[in-house]
Amino acid sequence: MTQAQEIKPDIDLNQFNQVFFEECAEHLAEMEQILLALSNEEPDEEKLNAIFRAAHSIKGGAGIFGFQDMTVVTHVLESLLDRIRNHEIPFNAAMIDLFLEAGDVINMQLAGHRDDAGVNQDAVVRISRKLQQLIDSSDVRCERSDAVISVSSPSSDGSVPVLHRYELVFTPDPDIFRRGVRIEQLFRELQELGELSINAGLSSFPDLAGFDPETCTICWSFNLVSPASETVIRDIFEFVADEGQLKIRETSLAVANPDAETLGEATEESVEVSGKAASPALMGNRAYDRNELAPGAYGRRAGETESTLRVGVNKVDQLINQVGELVITQLMVSQSASALDPVQYENLHRSLQQLERTTRDLQQSVMSIRLVPISIVFSRFPRMVRELAAKLGKQVELKTVGDTTELDKGLIEKITDPLTHLVRNCLDHALEIPEERIAAGKERSGTITLRASQTGGRIVIDVIDDGAGLNRARILAKAAERGIPVSDAMSDEEVWQLIFSPGFSTADAVTDISGRGVGMDVVLRNVQSIGGRVQILSEPGQGTRVTISLPLTLAILDGLSVAVGDEKFIIPLNSIIESLQPAAGCLKTVNGKNVVHVRGDYIPIIPLHELFNLPARVTEADKGILVLIDVEGEKAAVLVDALLDEHQVVIKSIETNYRKVDGTAGATILGDGRVALILDVGSLLLMHKSG
Amino acid sequence: MQTGRNSSDRNGTNAPSEYLTFTLGNEEYGIDILKVQEIRGYDPVTHIANAPEFIKGVINLRGVIVPIVDMRIKFKVGEPTYHEFTVVIIMNVLGRIIGMVVDGVSDVVALKAEQIKPAPEMGAALNTDYITGLGTVDDQMLILVDIEKLMSSEEMQVMDQSI
Repeated sequence: MTQAQEIKPDIDLNQFNQVFFEECAEHLAEMEQILLALSNEEPDEEKLNAIFRAAHSIKGGAGIFGFQDMTVVTHVLESLLDRIRNHEIPFNAAMIDLFLEAGDVINMQLAGHRDDAGVNQDAVVRISRKLQQLIDSSDVRCERSDAVISVSSPSSDGSVPVLHRYELVFTPDPDIFRRGVRIEQLFRELQELGELSINAGLSSFPDLAGFDPETCTICWSFNLVSPASETVIRDIFEFVADEGQLKIRETSLAVANPDAETLGEATEESVEVSGKAASPALMGNRAYDRNELAPGAYGRRAGETESTLRVGVNKVDQLINQVGELVITQLMVSQSASALDPVQYENLHRSLQQLERTTRDLQQSVMSIRLVPISIVFSRFPRMVRELAAKLGKQVELKTVGDTTELDKGLIEKITDPLTHLVRNCLDHALEIPEERIAAGKERSGTITLRASQTGGRIVIDVIDDGAGLNRARILAKAAERGIPVSDAMSDEEVWQLIFSPGFSTADAVTDISGRGVGMDVVLRNVQSIGGRVQILSEPGQGTRVTISLPLTLAILDGLSVAVGDEKFIIPLNSIIESLQPAAGCLKTVNGKNVVHVRGDYIPIIPLHELFNLPARVTEADKGILVLIDVEGEKAAVLVDALLDEHQVVIKSIETNYRKVDGTAGATILGDGRVALILDVGSLLLMHKSG
Repeated sequence: MQTGRNSSDRNGTNAPSEYLTFTLGNEEYGIDILKVQEIRGYDPVTHIANAPEFIKGVINLRGVIVPIVDMRIKFKVGEPTYHEFTVVIIMNVLGRIIGMVVDGVSDVVALKAEQIKPAPEMGAALNTDYITGLGTVDDQMLILVDIEKLMSSEEMQVMDQSI
């Protein structure tokens, strides 16, 4: 830490440091993801390259930003990876764990610099030493194998590289210098392929009087002895030579000599050659990569072909706010203009329609900036599951479905903790150890499925396990123990809800994974705080499904505006089933509470004016309008004076300047500039039940 | 103690601090001018369900939802009437924007520390906890309100106490 500060130059690097921290975290996450996907089998070159690139980028960044201590681990890691990549060290499964550990150490160092937290130097030294050991052991092995190199090496797959002799004639077009092609670079790359000799000649005799040094009249001929194939050579010339300008002829074949003594000599040479030349060309591990533009090339992640722009969230939020204002202003203008004669002001009305369309499009585009795929959250679980499963002696397979489902960045941040908790619960409580599973006639390894999807206006995330399921009797017993009123007649759904009570835990033993009883109630509260709901479905012996449903975004909502007295409220459209004007005969009372009979269902009526203490024009249900709402399967009818309009509203927080208001999910600004509260049907129902 | 929040003391100089004075009924009050964002007329508000009576509701202040409190109701001074001369002081308190309905805004006065006297235990409609002191300007008494303390207090119910 102190070392890093000493190295820092005078200019303030802090603003850049943030970028480095972010990028570094991304690289680490990527590395971890790839490592976990490797699952013990021999990794392909693509994956190894990706890990190598991540390590290299971190090292490079750390060096630039003066975090020298971070380059230590990354450097050793990089060296080791390089050897694996060049098949100098065989890959084995234990390395995955070692690499993961190294990733953790780098992460710790990163956190140390970012948050000024302490860095465990012992861990740094330990992991560096472990990695170095692997490298050293391979060096020893290499030396030992020198003696038998003619038999097993150089390529571990057994094929002795065959040397080719090429004659190349390159006649460039006269413009080549003007195009900025660096010929010497070309030579250097050829030289890396093997033994090279170059001769220059004249392709056309220049007119001395009109000699122009920028016109190329030279042609080159090369003699190259290399194990590389013709394509590799052609690749080097790819951007330089046009069709017909490069002629390659293979003159003689340097076949492996059957004579043992000369073979040793020959292969020695080829080892040298392949070591420094063949692999770079084939795998692209040089610091500059000719194929840099290709996806997956050096420093680039596979599939990332479009360019991106890093922008602060507050800037995006500001943009969203301003567009929200624009939408409101546009509504205000439209409302004022609607009073004008449509014939006389035809042009104005047409323009206003155009404006409305454009603002809507603009709003949608702006909103989409904040959307990120849920894979960001999902990708952290494989590691956790792997480690916890090993710790608990369970076999678990993690499946993720719908990784590309997009949701608001704000939601992503808030949903991570609850999901982590749920997955931990699955591992610790729900899934059984292999023996129990076999005894129950199930497969040895349990399955946890994370599934995200978008249905209607909501994002639904399921955490599904095929474990033992919730134990109804035990939950009831525990609840009774804690003084929660229970009865055996409670439906399963009601029983499952009990686990959301604060401090509730059925775990017999408190482990460091879960079971401390600070659990499901926190999950519920976190999810509710972002307008979400949690639902549990469980079948004994079959497993449990916890469903979290979230609003699509925190910033915009389709709503129906209703009037109660002088006030207007917005009811989210996605919770409305229908609205109706009940006949007097449909209205009944149950225990003094009003219900309405709709197609065989008795649905409780929530009189909004009573709940909110408002002077309403309508107090009798048969004179007003009932809006039927659906709260995760539970129905209710909200009594209002009148239905007004359907809007797309921008959600504003009341809590920014005020406090939470029961029964509301925020506020919005209507076309006339006034504020309307947005109802939260879920909490309305709760208010109605408790009051 | 009473002048502890005074900027003149904070700066270690005796420079006067400026106060915006307003009336509630017959009483004259003053708040730190630096807390005042703007002064505007009274717009119709949107009522908030189950809020105390003195919280009139919320308004749209250029896209921001701002709660409006009526001090006249809270402190039972003056008549809570709303007409074209009713004034709302929009304040920036602890990072929040809050509107306060008053009977009228009169002046901005500069007070030196020696012009501010500690408040007696009783007298104003306001709990003395929220009064930084009493100022005297031209024989007129000013009740100086610690608006941050007042607005963040539990009895105002403007902010969640958990924060």
